[in-house]
Amino acid sequence: MTDPLRQLLPLLEIRWSRVARAVALGTLTLVCAIGLAAAAAWLVARASQMPPVLVLSVATVGVRAFGTGRAFFRYLERLASHDVALRGMAALRANLYERIARGGADVVALRRGDLLARVGSDVDDVGDVVVRAMIPAAVAVVAGLGSVLLVGVFLPAAGLVLLACLLLTGVVSPWLASRASASVELRGAAARGEVAARTLELLEDGQQLRVGGLLADRRAGLRAAEARLAAATDDGARVAGVSAGIEAGAQTLAVLGCLLLGVPAALAGDLAATELAVVVLTPLAVFEVTAALPAAAVQLRRSRAAARRLLELLSPADGASAPAPEARPVRPGTSGHLVLTGVGAGWGGPAGATVVSGVDLDVRPGSVVALAGASGVGKTTLLLTAAGLLAPTAGEVDGHGLFVAEDGHVFGTTVLENLRVARADVDEAEACDALAAVGLGDWLDGLPDGLATVLGTGGSDVSGGERRRLLVARALLAPHRVLLVDEPAEHLDARTADALVETLATIARTTGRSVVLASHRLAPLGTADEVLLLGHHGTNETGAPAHVLARGTHADLLRDVPDYRWAAGQELAPA
Amino acid sequence: MRPLDPRLLRQARAARSYVVLTALLGAASAALVVVQAFAIAHALGPVVVATGPGGDGALDPARTAPWLVVLAGAAAGRAAVGWAQERYGRRAATHVVADLREQVVAHAVELGPRPPAGARPADVATLATRGLADLEPYLVRFLPQLLLTALVTPATVLVVLGLDWVSALIAAVTLPLVPFFMWLIGTMTAGTSERRLATVERLGSQVLDLVAGLPTLRAFGREIGPGARVRALGESSRRATMATLRVAFLSGAVLELLTTLCVAIIAVGVGLRLVHGGIELVPALAVLVLAPEIFLPLRRVGAEFHASSDGLAATARAFAVLDMPVPPPADRAAPGAVGGMLVLDDVTVRAPGRNVDAPAHLSARIPLGTGEPGGGRVVALRGPSGAGKSTLVLLLLGLLRPDEGRVLLAPSAAGEDAQELDRVSGWWEQVAWVPQRPAIGPGTVHDVVTDGRDVPLPTLEAVARTTGLDTVLASLPDGWRTRVGLGGTGLSVGQRQRVALARTLIGATDRPVVVLDEPTAHLDARGEQVVLDTVRAWRDAGRTVVVVAHRGSVLALADQVVDVDAREVVAS
Repeated sequence: MTDPLRQLLPLLEIRWSRVARAVALGTLTLVCAIGLAAAAAWLVARASQMPPVLVLSVATVGVRAFGTGRAFFRYLERLASHDVALRGMAALRANLYERIARGGADVVALRRGDLLARVGSDVDDVGDVVVRAMIPAAVAVVAGLGSVLLVGVFLPAAGLVLLACLLLTGVVSPWLASRASASVELRGAAARGEVAARTLELLEDGQQLRVGGLLADRRAGLRAAEARLAAATDDGARVAGVSAGIEAGAQTLAVLGCLLLGVPAALAGDLAATELAVVVLTPLAVFEVTAALPAAAVQLRRSRAAARRLLELLSPADGASAPAPEARPVRPGTSGHLVLTGVGAGWGGPAGATVVSGVDLDVRPGSVVALAGASGVGKTTLLLTAAGLLAPTAGEVDGHGLFVAEDGHVFGTTVLENLRVARADVDEAEACDALAAVGLGDWLDGLPDGLATVLGTGGSDVSGGERRRLLVARALLAPHRVLLVDEPAEHLDARTADALVETLATIARTTGRSVVLASHRLAPLGTADEVLLLGHHGTNETGAPAHVLARGTHADLLRDVPDYRWAAGQELAPA
Repeated sequence: MRPLDPRLLRQARAARSYVVLTALLGAASAALVVVQAFAIAHALGPVVVATGPGGDGALDPARTAPWLVVLAGAAAGRAAVGWAQERYGRRAATHVVADLREQVVAHAVELGPRPPAGARPADVATLATRGLADLEPYLVRFLPQLLLTALVTPATVLVVLGLDWVSALIAAVTLPLVPFFMWLIGTMTAGTSERRLATVERLGSQVLDLVAGLPTLRAFGREIGPGARVRALGESSRRATMATLRVAFLSGAVLELLTTLCVAIIAVGVGLRLVHGGIELVPALAVLVLAPEIFLPLRRVGAEFHASSDGLAATARAFAVLDMPVPPPADRAAPGAVGGMLVLDDVTVRAPGRNVDAPAHLSARIPLGTGEPGGGRVVALRGPSGAGKSTLVLLLLGLLRPDEGRVLLAPSAAGEDAQELDRVSGWWEQVAWVPQRPAIGPGTVHDVVTDGRDVPLPTLEAVARTTGLDTVLASLPDGWRTRVGLGGTGLSVGQRQRVALARTLIGATDRPVVVLDEPTAHLDARGEQVVLDTVRAWRDAGRTVVVVAHRGSVLALADQVVDVDAREVVAS
């Protein structure tokens, strides 16, 4: 398998000239640092021979210039490398968005909030590879080889010693650091997960545990999990310790090696006194070159993991995916007619598990059909299939409905822009009409900036009932004539929920749209033309798909189906 | 902002030993830095003199050999210190984080079911997992550098003072300039960087908002258009971030400029004084080697500044939780509940975040079961959602203190010698509580239900049939041996409740009071019947069942119904 980072790299649209600029600036920074040490060494050695001061003037200017230039170049380098990284992240975000939007990722993955929540930090991690790994590594190679050359020109053997020590700190130590962090992350993952789970349990169920007398036991459990985490960390620390030891000792070792080689050479007359000082003292500054590399190796590994997750998001490996986007041209359909023939619905396409099977349905313009049944029976799956967002596992869907999710997204923008999600050319009058139709007229009047009020994150809060109505208003503005509404009653109190269903039915009948709604609450279904009760015979221990147990009007079902009658009876508010 | 919160040392024992260890290692590395400088100077100086124009080109190897040995020792010593800091520092940091995590979590639990803002389970969970993780880089990377600055910097300045007072003076003058300039830049730019950071965050969240809304956009067939907008937002985000960084990196640049320039000035000064014989070569070389070491820890502190601010913020948040006062401890023993009575005396609790009292001015006398067969009671708590039924359960358990009124337990139905429930100890040993979402596990279903007791299988199976656990077991891969809870098979809320009911039926036979919070909310007709049978069995055994009820069937079973009502608070 190819490196996920390399696969993802084109999406960062990195301009190599910018990278080269950052690397050049980084190299200049280190040239200043090493130059400062070398020039100072020469200066002191030469000065000790008490020459005329003029002889030293170049060296003194050089020392001062190197001392000033370093901070200057470092500042420019940091800006340049962060600019490259930020450009990369912005491009990656945009490219990811486009790929996902064009159907690279499936609707199942997108409905999982945790995946999306991670996209942000994963993109940052992939971008960080530029600042923390690529550029420091390139700078280390250029500056490291440069200083080896500088020392090697005076004394080739000393150059080799320096090279060997640089390889220790620049290759061995980062490799060990990366291995240590990998082992901590891998072996500690289970322990870390357990610590998090036990922490959550204590926090969420703490009051029960107190009453049940189990608190001390669970605290001991948390301590034990922490001990396992510490043991895993300890294993990694053993390797990381070796890495840190190499880093700390290598510099002194290089100086020692240069002294051992340089002193005999100087005494033999092969090396001038000033050159000896440069050979011995330059290594003291050189090891700054590799200082960032252990962290770079760790970052590289972390970025690679992030890149792998992003690639999985783009192309799910298990094949549990929606139809390719070509299979569902965006063609809203002008008639409010939706026909399902022997449809089986489920995740994973024709080869996957069927959740609901054998559904025949003919939804005529202006009609309201309800899907009833216990939570988890497969109502949402069936709606997604009817909307064309999931491929049917059997049968045929004819017609194009708009899926109105129970958790539809309210964007952090204005009311009007939120409505324009349905159609780009919605004007203000249309928006007001749609809001009035769902009973949000008064709400709109109460908003500080009317249609220009910003909602959602950082904007005005929207209550549960208002949110659901807003989603319905948005659906009404879409060109679709068939609305597939999932659980309009979820998270709403009974009165609000029933009123919303009423509104939907009224709209369907007055505008000739048709509505299919899934609801586990039965009370408002009297308004539907037909109710399909989905469920299993018996207790369903075999995992067979659900099917239509009974169909008819709400009144029919109340009369003929005992379970339906019982469930509806339980919904009556207590006296 | 203090770089080290003293409360951390007081509260976390592991932190104290960690700081001591790090200080010792810091002192060792200061000594090694000085030793190394002297060894290099003494090994190099005589050779430079001997091979210079005035020298004779010959040198007794015995003069430099000991210093080379010392240098080799310094190399080994530095490697050992670096190894020990990483090896033991990381371990100690893990212990500090674990120690603090347990304290924070335990304290948050002690705060009761309605903790103040900032200590709610979600907040504390974020703090205890992600937040406290920020403490590790602070402890592993920042704190050691800080201690090194405190130890190595003065030590090296003092050694340089002994070698060459002029260089020491230059360093001593530069050192205070570093924090001064950083402070100056910090204050001058604080407002702008914060404003810009806010812009950056807003732009970033807009992109995430669009990605999060993708399912919605796709349902509308409008997912392609916003791609250009994501790109544009990314571009403005980059520009805003770069503007922030241009300012933020300034302080780092000043730090670097001052320290390297100071090293350069020391080097040039030493060189010029060498020409006039103002200083010997060996001390000059030692000063040259030592000068960068004076500033090295300080530069690293600057580089790890982020780790410090994140770590300190996490510490501050942890102590904000730890400083919240817990309810006073119980000071008297609870009366026996058998044959006793619960008394609600004008009880009012303000609902969190709403201008509503729920329950509002509730008074009731609830006689408890006698413990004799046939002497049990079923008490239903009834009311619309939001009326405060679950709050009343918390009050009856003594987990919550009413804002007004009292909740009392009297040892007899006469109601005398009553004690306030939130002040007594030993009440929880008399109560079995099945909340809406019972805590299960970790362990096998068998372990969870028996709670470690030795229960014969026929009894277990009878209980499973009574509580409807048998159908749950049938759907689990390993039946009674299925692992549930942490890392085990997930159970739905309805399944959890049945496990909890079975556990209460078996494990809590010695508890005269059973409290059920909406036990039938997630059940169908058959499931509900099972629960009602269980409640009846408890009553027949003489126990008291307090049950929050939404449905008529439960109410029909009740011996007493307590109506719970909320009332809106009229602003005065």
